[in-house]
Amino acid sequence: MAILSEFYLLLSAAVFSIGLYGILTRSNALVFLMSVELMLNAANINLVAFSFHYGNVTGQVFSLFTMALAAAEVAIGIGIVLVLYRNFEDIDVTKAATMRW
Amino acid sequence: MAIAGPVEALMAVALVGAFVVFLAPDDSAGRIATLVSLVPVAGSLWMYAVFDGSGNGLLGGDLAFESSAAWIALGRYEVAWHVGLDGISLPLLLLTTVLTTLALVSSWTPIDERQSQFYGLVLLMEASLIGVFTALDFFVWLVFWEFVLIPMYFLIGVWGGPRRKYAAIKFFVYTNVATLVMFVGFMALVFGLGDSVSSFDLPAIAQALRTPGELGTFFGIDPGTLRLVAFTLMFAGFAVKVPVFPLHTWLPDAHVEAPTPVSVLLAGVLLKMGTYALLRFNFTMLQETAIANAGVIVAFGVVSVIYGALLALAQQDLKRIVAYSSISSMGYVILGLVAFTPYGFGGATFQMIAHGLISGLLFMVVGVIYNETHTRMVGDISGMADRMPWTVGVFVAAAFGYMGLPLMAGFAGEYLIFQGAFASTVIPAAPLVTGVAMFGIVIVAGYLLWAMQRTLFGEYRLATDYDVSRAPVHDVVPLVVLLALVVALGVQPRLVYDMIQDAVNPLLHGGVLPWW
Amino acid sequence: MAGVYDFVPAVALLPFLAFVVSLFAGEYMPKRGAEAGIIATAGSLALSVWTLLTVAGITGPATSFNENLYTWVAGGEGAVTLNFGILVDPLSALMLVIVSLIAFLVHVFSLGYMNDEGETGLPRYYAGLGLFSASMLAFVFSNNLLMAFMFFELVGLCSYLLIGFWFREAAPPSAAKKAFLVTRFGDYFFLIGVVGVFATFGTGLFAPVEGAETLASFPELAEEALAGSAEEAGVNTFGYDPGTWFTILGLLVLGGVVGKSAQFPLHTWLPDAMEGPTPVSALIHAATMVAAGVYLVARMYGFYALSPTALAVIALIGGFTALFAATMGVVKQELKQVLAYSTISQYGYMMLALGAGGYTAAVFHLTTHAVFKALLFLGAGSVIIAMHHEENMWTMGGLRDRMPVTYYTFLSGSLALAGIVPFAGFWSKDEVLFEALIHGLGSEGAIGTLLLVGYAMGLVAVFFTAFYTFRMVFLTFHGEPRTDTARDPEPVRWNVKGPLTVLGIGAATVGFINMVPVAEVTGREIDYLHKWLAHGDISVTTTEHYGELLHTFAGVDPAELGPVAPGAVSLVLALAGVGAAWKLYNVPDPEEHTDKLGGAKTVLMHNYYLDEFQVWLATGVTVPLARAADKFDQGVVDGVVNGISSVSLFGGSRFRRIQSGVVTNYATLMTLSLVLLLVVFVVAGGVV
Repeated sequence: MAILSEFYLLLSAAVFSIGLYGILTRSNALVFLMSVELMLNAANINLVAFSFHYGNVTGQVFSLFTMALAAAEVAIGIGIVLVLYRNFEDIDVTKAATMRW
Repeated sequence: MAIAGPVEALMAVALVGAFVVFLAPDDSAGRIATLVSLVPVAGSLWMYAVFDGSGNGLLGGDLAFESSAAWIALGRYEVAWHVGLDGISLPLLLLTTVLTTLALVSSWTPIDERQSQFYGLVLLMEASLIGVFTALDFFVWLVFWEFVLIPMYFLIGVWGGPRRKYAAIKFFVYTNVATLVMFVGFMALVFGLGDSVSSFDLPAIAQALRTPGELGTFFGIDPGTLRLVAFTLMFAGFAVKVPVFPLHTWLPDAHVEAPTPVSVLLAGVLLKMGTYALLRFNFTMLQETAIANAGVIVAFGVVSVIYGALLALAQQDLKRIVAYSSISSMGYVILGLVAFTPYGFGGATFQMIAHGLISGLLFMVVGVIYNETHTRMVGDISGMADRMPWTVGVFVAAAFGYMGLPLMAGFAGEYLIFQGAFASTVIPAAPLVTGVAMFGIVIVAGYLLWAMQRTLFGEYRLATDYDVSRAPVHDVVPLVVLLALVVALGVQPRLVYDMIQDAVNPLLHGGVLPWW
Repeated sequence: MAGVYDFVPAVALLPFLAFVVSLFAGEYMPKRGAEAGIIATAGSLALSVWTLLTVAGITGPATSFNENLYTWVAGGEGAVTLNFGILVDPLSALMLVIVSLIAFLVHVFSLGYMNDEGETGLPRYYAGLGLFSASMLAFVFSNNLLMAFMFFELVGLCSYLLIGFWFREAAPPSAAKKAFLVTRFGDYFFLIGVVGVFATFGTGLFAPVEGAETLASFPELAEEALAGSAEEAGVNTFGYDPGTWFTILGLLVLGGVVGKSAQFPLHTWLPDAMEGPTPVSALIHAATMVAAGVYLVARMYGFYALSPTALAVIALIGGFTALFAATMGVVKQELKQVLAYSTISQYGYMMLALGAGGYTAAVFHLTTHAVFKALLFLGAGSVIIAMHHEENMWTMGGLRDRMPVTYYTFLSGSLALAGIVPFAGFWSKDEVLFEALIHGLGSEGAIGTLLLVGYAMGLVAVFFTAFYTFRMVFLTFHGEPRTDTARDPEPVRWNVKGPLTVLGIGAATVGFINMVPVAEVTGREIDYLHKWLAHGDISVTTTEHYGELLHTFAGVDPAELGPVAPGAVSLVLALAGVGAAWKLYNVPDPEEHTDKLGGAKTVLMHNYYLDEFQVWLATGVTVPLARAADKFDQGVVDGVVNGISSVSLFGGSRFRRIQSGVVTNYATLMTLSLVLLLVVFVVAGGVV
């Protein structure tokens, strides 16, 4: 017996909310990055779940693309974190607030 | 119908010339640009010689040098490359090409840095101006209309006077916002026409709008109100370019800051874009609305005439004087357009040409004096006639031309407008209104004579430390050419007037107009 | 018909050619361009005389000519066609001769006044003279109102150029500006009138043009409209009663006349215009600019004769100006100033005559005045050469013995100006007053009274005219020399004496062309000018026709009265004036009597404060108004524009504070916005 699609969606929603909570509350850049990854993966779960539900592989293919993109994004994100640390001696995102008007 | 013709050739020459000049070394850019610009002059003169168009280009007349090619589709609207000339556009095309060449020559002395960019931008502007006066598809026309601003912005902002950035940004933003307003108005009409039109072809739209019952509702606005709204938006948009009181304040700033050759083009050609568009759009497509609101429109014209002239009287800067007087002169064009008589339309169009030549001449001659004295303030100069006799001679002639001296082009334009407006059945209390507007000719004489008395005559005195000598020949040649043109058109206005009259007459027939 | 009429355009084109030649080649000519002008005006004179003879019928049958030669603008579609054309009838033929004669003599005189005095800038001077003559001649033979206006304006331009000839000094450019501006103010009304006439009648022709299709003239159409209905005549009267509307148009055109002919209240430019070279003053006063105004009224007299109101206004302006200017002439100290005011006064007489229905008298006075005023100005020029450009009469005296040719010719001109029999001015001025009197007595109603008022003012002015004229003569030529220069004046050459002699003889004799009182007494028909103007090919420009119009439409009729008694009255007054001047000023050491006038002297010296008033209108009213408009423009109109930009700048400066730079805040905003969007969709019922 297959697992109902609703459970996948619930899982996805939970992961997404955890990620969102992390973004809104944490100021550590690494945690921030992890939270973003969580949200991205929540979307991936949705893609795969709907793909399975409708018997169409397009969603799964897209989730592969997304994973590749996420990897690239993490590479850039870690790079930014490193630069952040080099310039501010810290990885607290709230301190780096000079990129505005 | 040809896909490309002489009009495209003129544009291409100016455009390619512009890029060649961009790459040319600074010290030869002026000469190269002038030589290049002679090609459009020769071309437009040839077009004038063999011109075989008749009637109004938007109202089913025979266009000369017409070419058209399908381009792109936006939704269900076809956008086509469509250009052509009728009796209204050809004189303006001639004005553009001739004035550009003369402005280029008059730049040789004052422009002494970044020459290749300067001359390239002027040629670029010429190409887009040719487009404005020949395009017959709204989309194509709009692209050229907007593109004119770009070279102008840089010409004022880079080579201008001390407050050039302020002036350039003001000019750009003001006229750009105006275009937006106008665009909204025009698109409302196009959508209101619904299935009647399937392209942005101006003749098709004009003819559809002049057919009773074609205009439907748009956005829940009934046709009558839609016409009024569209007319108001388009009038406001074009009035900025003309400029009409109270939308004129960008003009004096732009003129004062712009280098003289740019002022020549600004006053000589760019302002005519506004009145040309008013004639082509508001007074061709929405005649009913224009006639119903003639009283309001004519008030804008008359106030511009008197108010502009009064402001000119209060100025101390020679360029500012000429700038404000342009507002005054362009007010006459509004008066002529709203009269809805043969001489009203014809005179207004003729006045565009006449004012283009004369204001260009006056700016140029002020520029020549500025080249030698490095001041334009009335109080700083006196007795220039002593040092620069021929230049001052041209100054006096130009000033009298501006005052409407008979047998010069300005008189012909103004007289025809007055004649047309006086007998108008559209303007309320036409004789009285015309009489009030005509008082402008007294004030214009007042401030020009006063300015001349103080700067040109009396004992020689100069507040700046420059050694004034006679102007170089290449500064005087454009003045003489322009003066000759002004006199030729004054003695024989029919050189261009016949084709203008032929092109404006259809405006008075057919469509949704009442019987007259 | 190939004949003299084919050459009439050349009458104006020759001086125009001289203008071009002098301007561009004058530097290289021995006389700096004078040659071109002299040859051209001599040519014009010859052609004009030939034209006059042809019109008179001496070279063949009497003819006249009226044709459109050149289409300036063709409107089509029911719009009027604007043409240039030539009208040669007795009036214009006579005027062509006068103008080209004076222009020719002024050119010759200029050799002495300008070349011999070593002036610079002569090519410009002669070019100006050439253009001046050309414009005036073209104005004279114009066959329609628009063409007349155009050359009328060009005349104004030339006066500007020539009055301001000595541009390095302060006063001449100012006077030139004033001359152009004041006349421009008049021309403003004239231009409205021109536009109105074309809009009303669809034509501006002075006289009908015969051809395949006869083109009617506007005075004829006006006559038809008054006689019948306006629609029948095809006349648009803009909702007014035809009579009222024609009066309005006539008065508008009259604005230009008042400006150019220096009538009250636009006369103020003329005395200032004395800043120009003296030969130019002669040209302006005698034959060109000032004459243009009066000539215009005469030219379109068929139109004015339809309106009693317009006639009364013309007569009153004329009569008042004649008296008003004469009183100011009495106190002036400078030779040319006296002459300037006399010009204003004399043109007032012509206007009086025209207003009173004395068309012939006006043309007669125009003719004689052209001769004697040119003479007086050239004579004054001769004195000024002799006095090394000193113009104050109180520094002269006793020049009679030292420059006899100038004295006797000047005396001839002065006798003519004062109106002493048998010099030219007597006959013409007498006729002007006579016409005013008989028409004043003969006309019913208000216009008769008004004409009599005009007559009275003109009659009083006769005394003043004679007085200031002879005050001038006595102060300049009689008594003992009051300065060293006057004791040893600079001699003048043939080029000064020649024109003076010609005009001096003219001033004495030209009146004989129209001796009405003598004709009346002797019963012989020697009133040639009357006959000249009474008939002609073009019947609508004859005095016969004008007489009918005056009678039918204006109610102006002559009373039965002989010309001898009124003539005697004015002669007695003139002699009284001369006598008064004799008693006061023909003494070895005359003194200023003006102080005895008390307060009146100050008023007169200040020209009744009219100049001050007009300057105040310009600098005290218009300039502050312009400044206020400028403040309004910079403050309010441009202020709104700059205000809008300030508002957006300010708004931006506040709004950008949302951009805190803290990533968490951005994330919060995004989340909240997303939630908000979802809520909206839910409430709105979801996406369609």
